[in-house]
Order: sequence, then C-alpha cells, then structure tokens
Amino acid sequence: MTASGLAAIGAYAPRLRIDAAEFEAAWGRFDAAGIDEKAVPDADEDAVTMGVEAARRALAAADASGTDVAHLALATTTPPMAEEDLTARLCSILNVPDDAKTQTMTGSTHSGAEALDATLDGGPFGDDVGLVVISDCPRGDPDSGVEHAAGAGSVALVVDEDGPGTIVDRASHTAAYPGTRFRTGGDDRTTGLGVTQYDREAFTTTLGSAADRLDVPTETVDAAAVQSPDGKLPYRATGPLGADADTIAAADTVSTLGDTGAASAFLGAATAFADDAERVLIAAYGSGASATLFVATGPVPVNTALDSGVSLSYAEYLRRRGEITRDEPEGGGAYVSVPSWQRTIPQRHRLVAGRCAACGALNFPPTGACSDCHERAGEFETVELPGTGTVAAVTTIEQGGAPPEFVAQQSSSGEFDSAIVALDGPAGEQTVSVPAQVLQATDEVTIGTPVVLTTRRIYTQEGVIRYGFKAQVASQRR
Amino acid sequence: MRDAYLIGAGQTPFGSMPEESYRSLFDHAVSDAFDSVDHGIDTDAIDEAVVGSLGVGGRQLGLSGPAATEHAGLHGIPSVRVENACAASGYAVRQAVQAVKSGMADVALAGGVEVMTDMSSDVTKYWLGVSGETEWERLTGTTFSGVYAQMASAYLREYGASEEHLSMVAVKNHRNGAKNPKAHLGFECSLEDAVDAPVVADPLNLYHCCPTSDGAAVALVASEDVVEQYTDDPVRIAGVGAASDRVGLFQRDSYTAVSASEAAADTAYDRAGIGPDDLDFAEVHDCFTIAELLAYEDLGFCDRGEAPQLLEQGTTEADGAMPVNLSGGLKSKGHPIGATGAGQIVEAFKQLTGSAGDRQLAAPKYGLTHNVGGSGGSAVVHVLEREAAR
Repeated sequence: MTASGLAAIGAYAPRLRIDAAEFEAAWGRFDAAGIDEKAVPDADEDAVTMGVEAARRALAAADASGTDVAHLALATTTPPMAEEDLTARLCSILNVPDDAKTQTMTGSTHSGAEALDATLDGGPFGDDVGLVVISDCPRGDPDSGVEHAAGAGSVALVVDEDGPGTIVDRASHTAAYPGTRFRTGGDDRTTGLGVTQYDREAFTTTLGSAADRLDVPTETVDAAAVQSPDGKLPYRATGPLGADADTIAAADTVSTLGDTGAASAFLGAATAFADDAERVLIAAYGSGASATLFVATGPVPVNTALDSGVSLSYAEYLRRRGEITRDEPEGGGAYVSVPSWQRTIPQRHRLVAGRCAACGALNFPPTGACSDCHERAGEFETVELPGTGTVAAVTTIEQGGAPPEFVAQQSSSGEFDSAIVALDGPAGEQTVSVPAQVLQATDEVTIGTPVVLTTRRIYTQEGVIRYGFKAQVASQRR
Repeated sequence: MRDAYLIGAGQTPFGSMPEESYRSLFDHAVSDAFDSVDHGIDTDAIDEAVVGSLGVGGRQLGLSGPAATEHAGLHGIPSVRVENACAASGYAVRQAVQAVKSGMADVALAGGVEVMTDMSSDVTKYWLGVSGETEWERLTGTTFSGVYAQMASAYLREYGASEEHLSMVAVKNHRNGAKNPKAHLGFECSLEDAVDAPVVADPLNLYHCCPTSDGAAVALVASEDVVEQYTDDPVRIAGVGAASDRVGLFQRDSYTAVSASEAAADTAYDRAGIGPDDLDFAEVHDCFTIAELLAYEDLGFCDRGEAPQLLEQGTTEADGAMPVNLSGGLKSKGHPIGATGAGQIVEAFKQLTGSAGDRQLAAPKYGLTHNVGGSGGSAVVHVLEREAAR
C-alpha cells in the first residue's frame, strides 16, 4: 500500500531580493534568462531554517502539528552540513515524535521528488501524517549563470490519506546524461558544462520519457510546475510534457524567486494550488539525469510566504553571499560547549519554559532557583510557550559592536537589534522574559513592539551550527 | 567586631601603558599606596592581600593574586585573587575589611589590576562580554554596551528622560576628570560633542561609554588596634554593603533599577548609621552614563525617575550639593576592570584626607564608593568617614 492524499502545502522564500538589473549593472550582463528578481537567504538562513518555515506553514494549513508526523523526509542540494543527519534537529524544532521515520535526500535537484516518492511509499499513516520538506539555496561562482540564477526557497507537503488533495499519478525515468549540473566533493559551488544543446536534450528526453509512463493525460492539467534552473529551460519541455507554455507559466516561480533547486517544481505547485488550480503536473528533474512526474489534484490548502520584502544592491548581495566578508576572528572568551548547548535544545528549539512549583511564575530557562521568588522549588512544571510577545528593552548593535562570535553575521547582514522580549505564557496570562535578536525590520523596533519568535542560525562554534530562536516583528511576519 | 580604617590608598595612572605589565602596574600602585600612609609603612606590615582582577586577555588567569603580590615584595602572606567582573576590587576591599574586623589580620592590602589595551579590538570584545550571561544574553550578540543600552532604552521610555541626560553625565565627569592627573581621558568635552558622538548601541553613543584602560589601584586597611601607628588623621570604613542578582538582565525584576546596588547601599548606610543626605560626595560606577543615572536612584540620592532633574539642577556637579565622580569616574578617569573598585577608594581617601589637589572638596566628612559587576549581577558599596584628627 502507498499513500496518495495531500493535505496541504506550505511555502517560504527569504524576504531579501535582488533585481536582475543589479547584476546587469555589475557585470554588464545577466546570465539567467527569464528571471526578473530572485530570493536571497539572509546570513542566518539555510536549508534547515527555510525548511522549518515551510513546514510550520504546511502543518498549519493542514490543521496538524509536529506531533502528528510519523514520517519526515528532507530534501536539499544544499545541506548546511555535508555529513550529519539534519532531520533530528528538524524534528526537534517541529516537535516531531522521536519514533518518526526520517530520511534525507540530497545530491540532486531531483531529490525533492525522491522525498515525496519515499513518503508516499511510506504511508498510509493512519491518524498521523507524512511530512516532506524540500528546501534549497543553490550557489555558483559569482560570474556564472548558476549563481546569477541561484535563488532560495522551501516547500513542505503534508501527506495524509484524508486529503483533500490527491496524487493521482506518478512516474519516473532515468537516463545517463552526466554533466549538465554538478558539484565536486568539498565544493559549495554548483557548476555545469554549459553545452546548450546537450543540456536541453538531457532535460527534454528524461522528462518526456517519464511523461510517457503517466496514465493520466498531461493535457488535462491546469498548471505544469516544471524544474526551472532558469526561466527559459522549462519551456523547452512543452512538447515532451504535453503542456503548453501558458500551462507552465501558470506555475512559474523562477521569474521572482530564481532557481530554487530541489524545491523548484514543488514551489510551482504551491503557487498553482494557491491560484485555485485543480490539477497540477509536478515535473522534477536532476542532472545525471533523472526525472519524476506527479499529477496532483486539488483543492490543496496552501499557506505561503513568498512575497518580497527588501531589495538588495549587488554589493549587499555579495555580503549576504559571504563573498566579501570576514570570518570569526581569532580570540578566546565566552564559549558554549556543544554538550552544554545540547542541554538547552528544548528551550532553543521549542521554547520549553517551566512553572515554579512554589509561586507559579514562568521561568526561562527552567533551571535553578526560581528567578521570581528565588525558591529552590525543585522540578519545574514544563510548559511550551506559544512564541508571541512584546519587546521590553532593545538596542541596535552597530557595525563593529558585536562580540566576535557574531562578527561574521554582522559582516554579512550589518547592524542588528538585540532585545529582551516579554513572551506570552501558554494561556497568555503571564509573561516570561527572554533575550533575543530581532530580525531586521522595515519599521523601527521599540519597546512595546509585538513580535513572534522564529528559528534561525544563532552562530557556528566548533564547526557545529547552533539553531535557536530569534524574534520577528509581528507585523512583518508573512 | 573592631573597626577597620583606611590608612592609605594609591594607584597608577589609568590609560594605555604598553610599557607596563600587570605585575609592574600592581607594584607601582603598591608604592603609591605606601607613599600615601601618613607615618609610612613597608611590606612587613601587611598580613594579607586580596587582588581583584577579571583576567582580561587571559594572561595569568590562575594564581594571579600571588603572582602580583610576590612581585611587589609581599612575600609569603596569604594572597588571593577575587573575581566579580567590574566589582572585583570593590569586593577585594570588602574582604580586606572582613579580615581586619575578624582579627585575622591587623593590616590587609586590597587592590586590583587589569591590562586591557594590549589586544586587538576583536579580542577585547571577547573579554568585554565574558561577564554577561553567556548562554543566552551574549548569544543575542551583545557585549556590555548592548546590555546597558537595553537598560537605557527602558529607562528613557519609563521616565521620559532624554539622550541629552546621558550626555550631561559625560560632560560633568570629563570636567572633573580634566582635573585628575591620573585620568585616562582627562579632557573636557562639550555637550555638543557628547550628543553628536557616533552611536555604539542605540541610545548609547561613544561619549556614553567609558574607555578600556590599563591600571592598578591599592587600598590599605588597618584595625583600630594599630591605626595610630600609621596615621593621625584616620579614615574609618564606616559601612560596607554588598549584594548579588541574576547575571542576565532578562531574569531580573527591573531593567530600570539595579537591585544589587540598592541592597548593597541599604546595608552600607545601615552599618554606617547614616543616610544618603549625610554624604558629602560619592564615586559611583558609571561604566556607561545610564549607569550613573541608575546609581543616583539606587543609592537614594533621589527618588525613582528623578535622576535627570539632579543633573539639570547641577546637584551632582563638583560644586553641587552632592558631587558625584570627582575623580572623573569610569567615564573620564578610566575603567581598568579589576582596578576600578579600589580606584574609587583611592579618590575617596584623597578627598577625605585633603589630598585631592585641584578637585579637593572643602572638609568632607562622609564619602561613598559604589562598584558594580557586570550589568548588576553584583554590587558593593563602602561608606567612609573622616574622623576627628587624633
């Protein structure tokens, strides 16, 4: 048995954007046809944090929570660590039970399709759900077409027998076409040989052969969400896929988000269902080459955060990409070992606070004597905070004012706000204060500003990325 | 318990002194303190030593007490380093008072030393953050300027004070420090300078922040049984108070008051049998100018929210009713972390013994020193009294 129900899709793209004209001005040309602007991850965003954003939205749209997830598959070509299972932290952040089956698919822009395929095959999940998280932020050398196209985005699909959406058909095909898009070991820059006719042939032959294996006629779809390394290549596949240019354009995201790698076709499906498409073709492709097609019928509830926020200049873009920034300087001093960090993961990932047994005050973190009544009341009653609150004290750390652990972040992203946030208690009746960085906002952050907490990279120490919470101005939450 | 007296106190200049080591600085402060003793003193008289230091830069992080005191010829005696961030040597003085009052020592030396200017700015920033709460507070990207700026944001909002009030503290303290030959930044500044300076951490600008300094300071504490051997003009340590609070600002009851300061002052006043109205001057912990405003209120110089009026009325100016930071304070005199608390005692000793030069008050009787660790995780307050000449 396999699952075929699709309960909801969540989608997210970083709010930072750069216009193609910025590349034109810098290089005298722009090597990514069909892209008007693209999304750029901030210095504290990566495939994991973007994945969390999409997953939370998908679960919310499905009226489910992390505790309902029995199977989680993560797909990305840009895992923040080349080796190490990232799904454990993803599960921790999303509050997915520790007996959930997890998988990571990587190494190809086709990996998103592999993750959905595997999750469908892992079902049905009874009262539980499967969660597919596809998140990607490719990059190439600054003067390459890959980099000009490279965007960022994430999408998450909740697989549930009860639907309301259904995957009505799927088919795959592999054909040995090496070299259209690849990355050698140890490199973080994707490249391709750029043999135009060969690239097109690999793309169209592999997708077309997969389409031949579908039972459902592709002419019936309202939108075809096709793998889009740029804004031109997907339209080469109209014939082989049996979908016209308007149908492909109906699921376009590449023109505004750029090349979103493994998430590309699925982000297209998210926007198509958000536009009330009833039947959508998802066509994923990866160099090598492999293709998988899904035909999904709606309605599928969609929760997206794909609109743009802040436009970057090319120089600002190079800083966000880490091309012209400095690393953490040498030094000594404040140091949080990985084991001591690990002990605080429930707080950093899920805002687990404690209620004092003596006075009932909320404590964060819930250790030691009560910070309110100072009694040594023993174990705290564990409570999870909803993550909403207001700023109680705040400052802006100017360029050069951060401790060395945050020099790299500041070098990439500039000044940042650091605040004390009075977080709402579980029933909103009490508050508990936590220190938090505030994500850059277009409005000034002042005392009393409502915020919501979100997951970002805090910093990297000892080579280990530390994920935790930051505050986002509530009115800027998309 | 018997009374403890301050029989001498001295310090190096505060500033950037690449030619000095932490040992040589401490040695110079010992000499300066010895020279200040009315009838003279030498190393044989010292029964015990306490050395305050944060240990900025690492250097001799372990056993830095004995390393400093042995170098200064205080051979063989009990010697220990105390660490309480910026309140280290305020606490060192308190421990010397305890040793003397308990009878374990007749003369105890309390001092502090810090070297902060021989590192890159990146390494300095590492160390400036180590006394913040490291697992949560610092990981929002703050050093102390950021945490005090958060306190300032809350204070300005709660009481409707302005950034100009923060600048008025800088102008006053620089005016005082310009008269102190040992000040690190011994120049005057205009209100315009102090308002228009580059922002460090909003609302704090550069003139709202003290410098990082090298320096050492030493105080000599003697029991009532031996005080007459050393001076005819005794300064009694009339009251000492100290208190602690949560290290991270986010876990404290208030962001606009330093409860450790308030508690320490209450104890010190109580032991001394006086109140804030009896004081003739105070040296308060103005690492950031917002800290001086908070100190006025924590130490009872005015009610909550009234610190800006004290500044506007000139009450805390050198010629006001309650002069604060005649030495220039941390802002102008400088802030070699481990030496700061003992350095405040040096100024109080000079004022009470009539040796403060151009900044001398007319015959003060009571002076107070107020030394804070971190953003308020610890505080120590001393009330000093000039007794009638014997």
